[in-house]
Amino acid sequence: MRRVLLAAVLLAGACHAGAQLSQAYAQVVATTAKPLLARDGPDAQAFRGSLVFFNYCVTCHGPNADGNGRAAKLYTPRPANLRASDKNIIKYMRLIVRNGGKSMGRSEFMPPWGEELTDEQIADVTVYLQSINDRVAASTPR
Amino acid sequence: MRRILPLAAGLAFALVAGQALAAEQVVSQKGKAFSVKKLTVTVGDSVRFVNDDPFAHNVFSLSDTKSFDLGSYGQGLAKSVLMDKSGIVDVECAVHPDMKMTIEVKPK
Repeated sequence: MRRVLLAAVLLAGACHAGAQLSQAYAQVVATTAKPLLARDGPDAQAFRGSLVFFNYCVTCHGPNADGNGRAAKLYTPRPANLRASDKNIIKYMRLIVRNGGKSMGRSEFMPPWGEELTDEQIADVTVYLQSINDRVAASTPR
Repeated sequence: MRRILPLAAGLAFALVAGQALAAEQVVSQKGKAFSVKKLTVTVGDSVRFVNDDPFAHNVFSLSDTKSFDLGSYGQGLAKSVLMDKSGIVDVECAVHPDMKMTIEVKPK
């Protein structure tokens, strides 16, 4: 009887936590044009890229990837709005991420991530950035 | 003239003494961590961030007391920040999100 009771309590707790999580996620989805996390999408690479983005890039580029991260106030020019970026050719984006902005004639404040991120992580995050780029979305036939 | 001379000498002494009293504290970055989690300095002191890792770090702070960004720099290089206001300064690394430390800047 004790075991059954304990299991019931644990199950109720798990359900409650799960409900809270899905509610929070639903709020994120509701307040943005499209889901920022590719969690529900078919593309696992974009999902992995979103994890990289939210761990490393979010400080400057912000949770909406629009260049309004909490550190953005430190920089002139401000971090790029990655949702509206016209630099959405995958190879070009990977070069910027890997070698840093300065090497590409762009902002010197964009660090070279090649020492920290693996090639796979860089590939993942650029696929994620393409998946949330409004220009790419607008030019994709439906 | 006799009055001005001691005044100037006193002023020069105060300036030299002030500079001599200002200290430079060194914080190392090694193994993707700051060498100290907390540091206490006095207004006028500098904190020198030395990169002892074989890869680049990017030390910055968004604190109201002192906001700065030292940019990305590699092994063996160091950059200093003057702490010119009392308060708390939360320091982070832009490349390594787990690297954090706090500097308490005490008034003189």
